[in-house]
Amino acid sequence: MTGDTARIDTDTDELHLSDEGTLNAGRRRFLRNTSLSTLGAMVGMTIPFEARMPAGLIPVAAAQGMEEDLMAAKEGLVLLGDRPINAETPAHLLDDDVTPYEHMFVRNNGLVPDSALDMDAEGWTLTIDGEVDDPLELSIADLQERFETVTVRLVVECGGNGRAYFQPGASGNQWTTGAVGCPEWTGVRLADVLSAAGVKDSAVYTGHYGNDVHLSGDPEKEVISRGVPIDKALEDDGAIIAWAMNGEPVPALHGFPLRLIVPGYPGSASQKYLTRIWVRDQQHDGSKMTGYSYRLPAYPVAPGTEVPEEDMVVMETMPVKSLVTFPQSGTSVAAGTASEVRGHAWSGKGDVAAVDVSTDFGATWQPATLEPAPNKYAWQRWRADVTLPEAGYYEVWARATDMDGTMQPPVVPGWNPRGYGNNMQHRIALIAS
Amino acid sequence: MIRPYFAVLVTAAVLAAASGPAAPQGDYDPMAAARGSPALPGAAPLAGQTSAQEGDPEFGNLPPGPGMEDTYYQCVACHSTAIIRQQHLTDARWDYLWTWMVEEQGMQETEPEVKDAILAYLKTHFSSER
Repeated sequence: MTGDTARIDTDTDELHLSDEGTLNAGRRRFLRNTSLSTLGAMVGMTIPFEARMPAGLIPVAAAQGMEEDLMAAKEGLVLLGDRPINAETPAHLLDDDVTPYEHMFVRNNGLVPDSALDMDAEGWTLTIDGEVDDPLELSIADLQERFETVTVRLVVECGGNGRAYFQPGASGNQWTTGAVGCPEWTGVRLADVLSAAGVKDSAVYTGHYGNDVHLSGDPEKEVISRGVPIDKALEDDGAIIAWAMNGEPVPALHGFPLRLIVPGYPGSASQKYLTRIWVRDQQHDGSKMTGYSYRLPAYPVAPGTEVPEEDMVVMETMPVKSLVTFPQSGTSVAAGTASEVRGHAWSGKGDVAAVDVSTDFGATWQPATLEPAPNKYAWQRWRADVTLPEAGYYEVWARATDMDGTMQPPVVPGWNPRGYGNNMQHRIALIAS
Repeated sequence: MIRPYFAVLVTAAVLAAASGPAAPQGDYDPMAAARGSPALPGAAPLAGQTSAQEGDPEFGNLPPGPGMEDTYYQCVACHSTAIIRQQHLTDARWDYLWTWMVEEQGMQETEPEVKDAILAYLKTHFSSER
């Protein structure tokens, strides 16, 4: 036990509330009864949060407590930050075809709004305005009644997944491989809703807004407001406005009550706590659309280069990628016998063409079987049987290839100031004995 | 075949220790970052881990040193120290982040000498340059 990561382990947690509907009551009880010194124990975390909390910051601690109470239902995630809450999922906990709530990574730019903490969608409306013929103000019931409901598995991946491997470092949460998941989302097609509003020829980009709370506490400040080119927003079988994740209301940490899901783009385009989609006549310039946020250099640069802001361009389609989700890294298998390894592969462009695996540090590769995607932008299951010839240390490397023939690189690809788009091959240790 | 080299790289112990075999080489994590995030297996330590860089629990487990207190009080107004302790940045990126925090994120600008002390502290302890 190194003590260098927070393990969210709820097995013995009295406050563990698996039923979404009782979380709210649990949180209130938590706030009434919990003293700071017992916070860590109450949420079942080994990280010494209480040591970080100066007495002068009790309101902040209380806010943390509410969010950490929600984190109690997460299982095995590695906590990168507690305010805002950010946590990633070890690869072996992402083996499910449909990522369950307890294994879905958490990436928050701000604080979870009260409406989500209370799971209260009363009076919630979604505004569609800007470059449209007929601006709309839709209740959740309006969305459900006026548009066809779809249920699809869509990968959501943070644009900075893999940032930890950039050298020099890139600022932000140091995600390794676990800022990705593929839950099943239910909602309506963004294209249908935008079409109902009548998208004008002048439309260029979308701008997304939510009601989460800025870390500074300033209610006037946008936490994050990103968008996508109008063609991406109108793509067939693309973005949806979701009210359910895995058949339950979108959880508080993941955007209750409405969340945009824009598959294939950085997760930040998938606005949580969605209140408004502003159709713009220019590239959106909301919070974290400009500067270095979710932007890449327009040309390849040497690691550590200070790239002028005007040379940064918006990151759009996410690169092809894969994970080895079984077995867990470090597992022992019998030498000379076939052993199954498996995982998922996905691409921001849609379906993946092939996955290959290597057990000799990339010297030779064997094809994995690759299942078709259940729908576009879902991750695809791959499997391979590997035979390790003699006892010793091996690594399983996985390499996905997209439909254009583009493969994952074996090393960290193009350095960029904020550490986006790292799709280097995933590797696990496999011990033959 | 036992490779002692791998045995000393005690990585991913939090996640791996509970399951799997006890073979020392099984503790090696090929995806452990070489350095950088204290939140990462195999990286610089957080508090609770024996190390010369052990943090001060009174100040969000920031490593002790000149500028620690100013850094703590300036930064935790908005976010916890967890994000600071993950960084390993160039000096130029730290300078940029200060400006970004003030201009975009609503951070209160400080007296110049306080700013200098905080940036010197961050560049000393959370650097890719030293």
